[in-house]
Amino acid sequence: MLTRPSLIRRLVFLFLVALPCALSAQREAQQGTGRIVGRIIDAASGAGIADAGVQVVGTTTGGRSGVDGRFSLGNVPAGTVTIQVRRIGFATKQVTGLVLEAGKSLEQNVSLTAATVQLEAQVTTASVERGSVSGALDAQRNAAGVVSAVTAEQISKSPDGDAAQAVKRVSGVTVQDGKYVFVRGLGERYTTSSLNGARVPSPEPEKRVVPLDMFPAGLVQTITTTKTFTPDQQGDFSGASVDIRTKEFPATRSTAFQFGSGYSPGATGSRLLSATSVGGESFAMVNHNRDLPAVVRNLGNFQNINLNQGDMNYLVSTFRNSWTPKVATGSPLLNGSMSVGGNDPVLFGHRIGYLFSGTISSGTDLKDGQVRALADRGTTKGETVEIDRFTGSTTSQSVLWGGLANLSTLINEGSRISFNGLFNRSADNDARVEAGSFAADAIPVQITRMEYTERGVYSGQLTGEHQIGSMHRFDWSATASGVRRYEPDQSAFVQSIDQDPAGGPAVLHWYAGGSGSAVRTYSDLNENSHEYSAKYTLTVGRAGSPTVIKFGGLSRHTSRDAQSFSYAISARNLTPEQLALPLEEIFDGRFSTPSSSYFNVGPLSQGGSYAARDRLTAGFVMADVPIFSALHAIGGVRYESDNLEVDAFSTLGSPVNTVKKWNDVLPSLGLNLQLTSRQQLRLSGSRTLARPEYRELSPIISRDVVGGENVQGDENLSRTRVTNMDARWEFYPGAGEILSVALFAKKFDLPIERVYGSGSGGTAFVFYTNAESADNYGVELELRKHLGALGSLFEPLTLFSNVTLMESQIHLFDSTKASATNLSRRMVGQAPYVLNTGLTYASRSGGLSATALFNRIGERIVAAGGTPLPDVVEKSRNVLDLSLRQAIRSGVLLRMDLKNLLDSPYEVRQGTVEREFYRSGRIVGLGLQWQH
Amino acid sequence: MTLIGRALAATAAVLLVGAVACGSDNSTGTTTPATPVLGLAATAKSTTSVDLTFNGTAGDNSYDIERAEGAAGTFAAVGSVPAPAAGGPVTYTDTALKVNTAYRYHIITNRGALKSVASGEATVTTKDFGFAANAISTDITASRTLYADTAYTLKGFIHVANGAVLTIQPGTRIYGDYATLGSALMIMKGAKIQAVGTPAAPIVFTSSRAAGQRQPGDWGGLLLVGNAPNNRSGVVNVEGTGTDGNTVVGGKNYTVQYNGGNVATDNSGTLQFVRVEFAGFAPLQDQEFNSFTFCALGSGTRASFLESLSPLDDAFEFFGGGFDIDHLIAFETADDMFDMSEGWQGRMQYLIGINTVQLTPRTGAGFYSVDLEGIENDGCNGTGCDLGFNSTPFTIPLVANFTMIGCGLSSCVGASGGHGMMLRRGTGGYYVNGVVARFPTDGISLRDQATYDRAGDTGTPSATADLQLKNIFFAEVNGKLFQPLSANQFELDSTANNLKLSTGTAASLFTTLPAVGTAPADITAFDFTPAAGSPIATGGLNAFTGAIATKAGTFVTATAYQGAVAPGAGGKWWAGWTTYARN
Repeated sequence: MLTRPSLIRRLVFLFLVALPCALSAQREAQQGTGRIVGRIIDAASGAGIADAGVQVVGTTTGGRSGVDGRFSLGNVPAGTVTIQVRRIGFATKQVTGLVLEAGKSLEQNVSLTAATVQLEAQVTTASVERGSVSGALDAQRNAAGVVSAVTAEQISKSPDGDAAQAVKRVSGVTVQDGKYVFVRGLGERYTTSSLNGARVPSPEPEKRVVPLDMFPAGLVQTITTTKTFTPDQQGDFSGASVDIRTKEFPATRSTAFQFGSGYSPGATGSRLLSATSVGGESFAMVNHNRDLPAVVRNLGNFQNINLNQGDMNYLVSTFRNSWTPKVATGSPLLNGSMSVGGNDPVLFGHRIGYLFSGTISSGTDLKDGQVRALADRGTTKGETVEIDRFTGSTTSQSVLWGGLANLSTLINEGSRISFNGLFNRSADNDARVEAGSFAADAIPVQITRMEYTERGVYSGQLTGEHQIGSMHRFDWSATASGVRRYEPDQSAFVQSIDQDPAGGPAVLHWYAGGSGSAVRTYSDLNENSHEYSAKYTLTVGRAGSPTVIKFGGLSRHTSRDAQSFSYAISARNLTPEQLALPLEEIFDGRFSTPSSSYFNVGPLSQGGSYAARDRLTAGFVMADVPIFSALHAIGGVRYESDNLEVDAFSTLGSPVNTVKKWNDVLPSLGLNLQLTSRQQLRLSGSRTLARPEYRELSPIISRDVVGGENVQGDENLSRTRVTNMDARWEFYPGAGEILSVALFAKKFDLPIERVYGSGSGGTAFVFYTNAESADNYGVELELRKHLGALGSLFEPLTLFSNVTLMESQIHLFDSTKASATNLSRRMVGQAPYVLNTGLTYASRSGGLSATALFNRIGERIVAAGGTPLPDVVEKSRNVLDLSLRQAIRSGVLLRMDLKNLLDSPYEVRQGTVEREFYRSGRIVGLGLQWQH
Repeated sequence: MTLIGRALAATAAVLLVGAVACGSDNSTGTTTPATPVLGLAATAKSTTSVDLTFNGTAGDNSYDIERAEGAAGTFAAVGSVPAPAAGGPVTYTDTALKVNTAYRYHIITNRGALKSVASGEATVTTKDFGFAANAISTDITASRTLYADTAYTLKGFIHVANGAVLTIQPGTRIYGDYATLGSALMIMKGAKIQAVGTPAAPIVFTSSRAAGQRQPGDWGGLLLVGNAPNNRSGVVNVEGTGTDGNTVVGGKNYTVQYNGGNVATDNSGTLQFVRVEFAGFAPLQDQEFNSFTFCALGSGTRASFLESLSPLDDAFEFFGGGFDIDHLIAFETADDMFDMSEGWQGRMQYLIGINTVQLTPRTGAGFYSVDLEGIENDGCNGTGCDLGFNSTPFTIPLVANFTMIGCGLSSCVGASGGHGMMLRRGTGGYYVNGVVARFPTDGISLRDQATYDRAGDTGTPSATADLQLKNIFFAEVNGKLFQPLSANQFELDSTANNLKLSTGTAASLFTTLPAVGTAPADITAFDFTPAAGSPIATGGLNAFTGAIATKAGTFVTATAYQGAVAPGAGGKWWAGWTTYARN
């Protein structure tokens, strides 16, 4: 559990480690020579290449890279120098034009390309090489699978503030609700997320998904999206696995500060109805002010006790008397970050690489003109009629902060041990006020909610990399991570809007009867995970095209505890005048004197709690075998044994325990064919799986408090088996350029879908069912091209674009209890197309850069319709962002970001009914970045 | 037995033997005289039977059994039993007795043509209902009889499975276990219940708690699920079920479903003289068990003389299907007295609903509704209504002779509702000869164009229209016969349809109607018979025509009066078998 003391401990630890590191910094001060440091990386994967020889051309100065690819050359004569990098299996590369000042350190990273065919040396200039390292990361030439990556450098050129915003730049990726990643139209169910290679626990009560908006972009080095399965990856992904790598320490000591501010028209500086706050909410650290009153907690389900009126009065008075949002000025968007890193302190004779980084952002945003409605059935088949339409706005006060500590040391040339610690926290304090009317009552009402949500993640990881000679490599890692989603004391209440006489001024009366009139909800979800993995790699055979054999294992233990308690307060016998009082006055004690007989309070079973334990044990063996020099076969098999247990407690039912055991063998085979030195063809086929989410296996019924639908899990769900086929042709016309076409097809056996059922009396029911099968197929195009070929005017421009076109078909069983309109349709969440395109300008001097990014996602189903209603679709939306970066002087960068320039509405429709509509507003941001 | 007690008994036996011996001394004649039997003992076997044992003498022919009721009744012969040749013990079981009643017995011996004097008397009292205890905690999967002599306790969600018949003897008491929240009896599709009580021995389902401590929601209720058509496609989850998941585990609240079956004549059994008291279970808003929940029951089902007392939600709720049901009474209903939807086709006559208060339900059993109404009828609502409010079959019940009395105060209802009759979402139906009083919002809410279309999109529906309201008398309904006209609210012509809004009080209409706010002592506080000279004693639609006549057939009779009770002394059909209690 992420409690405050543990947070403080972590912060203290962070600073205690940071200080001595910074203090013991050393400097190169030798006259006439300088130092070149950097990293040799695989152009395909971005991974460091160990044991590469680095030589200053024309001198005897040279060295070898360490296990992480890092190298350091001391006593290099000052002046303009050239370095040459060699490594068996890679094309030799010369980098010219390095200007080294005496007594200074120069950082130069070099990327190497696998030399399957071409063995002649490549020569590039230092400046080009600098530009192409990030491009190379993006070149996606991973030897085994189809990979896309976004790098810190790309993120820094975009206005993206968190990992979720950044990852949507990847081809085939769509991001839902600004948080959840869909790859190739496959929902979060089929996408897994990891942090530095270890699975991240999920803070979502309904799903196991990781909302990527929890990770500040400032802490991210790369976000890699792997779209094909190899046995060394966890088997429960079918769409993609997203790995976030936190920043690595820089080769030379550096400190960076960044500060920015944003203005959101309509929100910043405006008078807005905002949620009230208590305690340390502004820093996402709420205190006990929002705790569920102990006396209420002790009552549990209120069973086997008979409360008298006095008891009710007392219980009502224990709830925090805060219901109505206050008017406050919207604060500007502020963000700042700081990092310090280097590779200079020496402890026990070992150089320690370190990076400490912290970031914070906060602000107020407004979703204005928010509309939500439900669609009812018309009197002709398929016709939709709007009901329960509510309009209003949501003011959100958010804060996101986090920090990381990354320490690493070489034990010897071939062994590196590193520690990666990450901690972050976010809070959203929302106030939503909306007016409308429920069809069942036909009375105009206003609903007011205040919802505070706090999320936190921590992760601590120890990894080791050991290269023994050129043949053996052993990697291991141990990770402990945890996540919490804490939603204490959310409030919602309903007032009727009365006009008496008709047309007179509107008066609000508390809608005091029933279970939805005034509700407090307390939810808390904790998930913790321990993961241990080890991998052995054997490289044998002919240099240049070796055979690589890997085997390894993994053990992961995840436990989750999700609790939710909800209470309704209702009242009788209050007069209209009394009901017209603000709720804070109704609950100030005047109606709960000992003789009062107004209030009733009781638990609502929208609550329901569950606990889950999941033990995964896996082992794999795989080989990368060169069949010809130009043809590699990558094949292997993974075995996974999963033991999942869910204990559910419904407020008014008996506990239900579900135990699932699944053992799976997951084979995969890939072929990589080097067509020419610049062209590759990859083919792959694999078997993967998707297991039901914990919540889906818990048969408790839960319900949104006001006007919501009932959601019920099913303990009898099966897992889904997926067969994946991929083909991809890649062409690399020049450094940092790519053209690729990929085809993919997936077949799902028993996919799980969220569908509608019906309840007597008309209540809508949402539940989960295994559909019979589904198919998903499509094509992906990716292009990145310098436009210099069009003329010198276009020299500084780079165009990039990725387009995914896809289609899917899901078939539900006829006998299913789903009352779905379409037994055969697109899968929920799948868009017919995703388009990302952008243009980057980089002035020759490197002083000014500008990026325009455009994103559009085709209309997709967000919920399958219950018969006879059509499916609920989210409309396409155009998003255009602009970023400018201007170097003012050395190390100082001015940033300007224009976000969401088109301000296209977010719109969800069902037939003719607008189910949801809002605009999130444009944002103008300005910032300064200073790096030393 | 104490020592003294034994001594007294022994002495009594000696004296008795002595008395018999004296009697035989007085006999004369040459043949051995017939002597009365010795050792007559009577034990109550059940609520209706008594076992007699005595010692016969060798040579006797038979024994006449004579019985007298109470201390002062006169003896009469009830039967005869042959004598064993060698003498010795004789047993006889007397049946068809009254419950919990004292009887005296004596025996007359027949020897040849001679009769003895009467033996010594034995007295016995038959057992009361429910003298034995039996808990039912798992599903009933084979036919079973519940006996009147046993008090059953439902512990959990008891489902009577397909193919099984549950027979319940008159007078049987079945308690819903307070300790097992939501405990309920569910007659599943294909199963039957035969619960036929008598006015003297109604079958009672009630809370396991003592009178005075009972509350709405003490236990779940009675649910019947059938296989008759409704107007929603696909399967429908019975509301309130599924809190224990989807896996069928006996006694657990697993998800129960019905679907638009095709057996309109489906038979789920017979209910007669049945009371359901303090029931209800509301795991979620709009997900409630009622006193009586009828899901898609076919016309083979028959129900009459049913009482609902103080439920957490509705008294009687009908989802689709259709069968004949009459003589229903609903006291202190937290939500709707009569709730019909999903294509309910039944014929209903003689319905009483009355509220005097809104009771506080059992803590933690759920929340009562916000929209209390007398009748709440819907056409079709929700997933599976393929034509929306026009989904077929339309909800078209015939509701004749109803008396519905709200508690009159807005505090008795929730935040909305308070309509005497809520007709919406395309419902039809024939509503005739009713009395609606003391509803705080209005008499009738005729909502939605689709509902108005059932009346033919006119205020004067024709004799063939699917929605007709005729000869209904309203009093104390906030001065509004109809909810005022708006885009979504409609009215019928009150004159043409004989819908009368009285300016008089509700109390003046009936013989005895408790005032709002005072707690009625017991059932005798109510007399729904029209008061002398009451306008509801006349004014009924006394001849049916058109669609109403067709629907009524021979089951529903037209009456000259309005309301559920005929004027005069003989009309009190609720008397004797019903009860009233707030707790």
